[in-house]
Amino acid sequence: MSRVGFRRLVPWAVACLILAADVFISVRNHADLDRLLINVILALSAFATLHARMLSLANAGFMAIGAYTSAILAVKLGLPVAISLPAAVLLCGLVAVVIGLPVLRLTDVYLAICTLGFGEVVRILIVLLPGLTGGPTGANLSTGFPYEAMRRTQTWMIAAFLALLVYLFWAMSRSKTGRAFRAIRDRPQAASTMGIDIVAYRNLAFLMSAMIAGAAGAFYAHSVGSLDNSDFRFTRAVDILSYAVVGGSGQWFGPILGAGLLTALPILLRDSLGASIGFLRSFAQLPNILTGLGLLLVIIFLPGGMAHALHLQRKGTRGRTAGSVESGKDALAAPGAATGTGPQDFLSVHELTRVFGGVEALRNVSLQFEKGRIYGLIGPNGAGKTTFINLVSGLVTPTSGGIMWQGKAIHGHRAHQIARAGIARTYQSIRLFDEMSALDNVIVGHHAHIHTSLLSTWLRLPREAREEGEARDQAARLLERLGLSELAGRPAGTLSYGDQRRVEIARALALHPLLLLLDEPAAGMNEVETSRLGRFLLELKDHGYTLVVVEHHMDLIMGVCERIAVLNFGRVIALGTPTEISGNDQVLEAYLGRD
Amino acid sequence: MDLTLLADPVFLAQNVVDGVARGALYAVYAMGFTLIFGVLDIINLAHAATFMWCAFAGWLVMSQLGLPLPLGLAVSMLAGAGIAVLLELLAFRPLRRAGSDRLASMISSIGASLIMVSIAEAVFGVETRRFPDSVLDPRPFLLGGTGGLRVSRAQILIVAASVILTLALGFFIRRTRMGKAIRAIAANLSASRLLGINVNGVVVVTFLAAGALAGAAGILVGLLTNNIVPGMGAQIELRGLAVVILGGMGNIEGAVLGGLILGLVETFAIAYLPGGSDIKDAIAFLILFLILLVRPNGILGRKTAEGA
Repeated sequence: MSRVGFRRLVPWAVACLILAADVFISVRNHADLDRLLINVILALSAFATLHARMLSLANAGFMAIGAYTSAILAVKLGLPVAISLPAAVLLCGLVAVVIGLPVLRLTDVYLAICTLGFGEVVRILIVLLPGLTGGPTGANLSTGFPYEAMRRTQTWMIAAFLALLVYLFWAMSRSKTGRAFRAIRDRPQAASTMGIDIVAYRNLAFLMSAMIAGAAGAFYAHSVGSLDNSDFRFTRAVDILSYAVVGGSGQWFGPILGAGLLTALPILLRDSLGASIGFLRSFAQLPNILTGLGLLLVIIFLPGGMAHALHLQRKGTRGRTAGSVESGKDALAAPGAATGTGPQDFLSVHELTRVFGGVEALRNVSLQFEKGRIYGLIGPNGAGKTTFINLVSGLVTPTSGGIMWQGKAIHGHRAHQIARAGIARTYQSIRLFDEMSALDNVIVGHHAHIHTSLLSTWLRLPREAREEGEARDQAARLLERLGLSELAGRPAGTLSYGDQRRVEIARALALHPLLLLLDEPAAGMNEVETSRLGRFLLELKDHGYTLVVVEHHMDLIMGVCERIAVLNFGRVIALGTPTEISGNDQVLEAYLGRD
Repeated sequence: MDLTLLADPVFLAQNVVDGVARGALYAVYAMGFTLIFGVLDIINLAHAATFMWCAFAGWLVMSQLGLPLPLGLAVSMLAGAGIAVLLELLAFRPLRRAGSDRLASMISSIGASLIMVSIAEAVFGVETRRFPDSVLDPRPFLLGGTGGLRVSRAQILIVAASVILTLALGFFIRRTRMGKAIRAIAANLSASRLLGINVNGVVVVTFLAAGALAGAAGILVGLLTNNIVPGMGAQIELRGLAVVILGGMGNIEGAVLGGLILGLVETFAIAYLPGGSDIKDAIAFLILFLILLVRPNGILGRKTAEGA
């Protein structure tokens, strides 16, 4: 025990040391305390975007906007900080929405590049508007602003604001929103097919990040008392990023540790060691070098940051299980009624074609699906089966042709819209949210059915607790139904292959879909598991679900499917009942082989 | 906008010359950057810091040891190659091994860049260094007498060097066995490994080439602006990004074209727009922003090194 116990203690000891160092430094110097608090706020602003898997380097730019706005309002218009600061934050929010709408559609590195440029442009504007900003060397707040008298209040206000932020992040992390962010961070595509609107969440994250950075900038302006555009250079953006990366962007407390460490360490080194090593005292670049080293070492050796190490420890001891499950209620309660009437109105694809760089993955496929049946989709590797599922679930848009769902065309709709319209799927290569528990994975499936807003989460309205509880119960029942109750508290990534496949099915069912697309659900399962899965699929059908099963296990396909479509080189080569298909010469030749 | 200036052919020609020289410089810088992205999908934000260190390496040997320009250029390119390989070994390879995504490699390059710039600041301070005049005669050629066109030796050298380097890189990528391996890795890294290509070896060669290009750019910028400071990387970083996005990430011809466009646009903005020299720093961003919104794959589309 002792060895393992000791290793478990190390991250906690490190965290405590950082906080102790911060307290030590802060007690001696008010300016250092302000700086520390502001850095922690900045770290949370970087966290807000990183947590949604966005690398934004715009924080320094928003910090500058916040700093200059609040300073100008306070100095030139004589407004109290209680007005100038919220005004600065609102302006940052406005700018974030305006530039976020186009920019946030960009993928990872392009977003980073664009936001890097944004930060530079803010600085250029500061220089170009000397009448407003005081030019490059800035607005000097010490004239016309009772700065010294405000100082004590300032520190108190910064601390209060930080406390509020910590509460907001903590509450969010336990809500639907927090789960959605974790899902997006882990597997954006899977998140979108669970009905999560990735673009909306990215906009929310960017907005929060901008407003928090703006607040930090305003506090910075009032704490430092003068402004210089070079305070908001790219280096600042890198500092902010490093707090969140070193601390860890998976859990809300990570950035607090990161900012604490990277603020305290240089001060400590300079103040305590500097006395004995004169070189360090004059080494102005030391903090930057430490920051750079921190970024490099953490990203290579501890990709989740310090908080990740702590979080894993907690998981080991907590081991949350599904808890008590009300039996009696059926987890597989029939899906909602289809809106269409005729059988053709359920799902039909018409002349569906998808070309990938000159290769036709799917060519002129026309199929109709009726409600309440199990369909099989088979064919050799590369026949276009997964492409078909990707097209119907909205991950891929068709090159030509159409998809009609309940009488409406859904091709071109985004994945989360299709998921919310009642089409759920699983993946051939399992895409669970690995670090979440099996139970939380299934709760993510409920995302579209939890209507609590972020505001009611923050206000702790009773509705939120009720909806969360319901989602938890339903998820637990689904897991029970699939025989996974005992594994509910385990991180999904640690489960066996077959268990992971079943968690994926549970997660898809949590969406209350009308149609379930299963991409090789039995892959990696043994005979016993496969036949149990077959019985479960038939049960789903009895409850009114419609299934499309892509599979290579012929026993499963022949055993449960009512109609089978055979694809080869992107075309439907046969369509019929299992008996018809197994007797079809073309199929035998193309797919089953001739032996 | 001063319309009378538009009518002045000498002024116009002067700006074309200056713009092409500036653009050729951006092209040399951006080629190395885009090569690494095209092959490895890595945004190497330490490319600018590499470039800055190379300029200092050139300055050290030329002004302190008195070496002539060709040797200074060689030393600088070697230094760039060496630094780039160090970056690959310390900042990128461990991440590739761990299967990290490209945001991780971008972050590690940011960390490496910060370290490199900070060390340069600690070592060289903030004072501006210049190459000695003996390296290259600073007097320009005058075409058409004293009110005529001024073309400096540095400008001629930059354009010549960029043409040679572009052709050499193109030959290397398209005509050599190593180039073929690089293109294979650009197309599919894991498949290349399965086919028995020594991926790590080829990647090192790629970084060697990209670093050498950064080294050449460092010397050329030093010759053109005569302003060698630790912060010089930051001045070209955003421009380099704008250039590669303009031309299409990973596209070498695109980097050349994008470099020329940015060089000309910047030069003309300074010449013809009121307050142009102030807004020229914003031009790179405006181009970058517009291209990302309108045509994220750049004007030549996303053809990676293998695509041509």
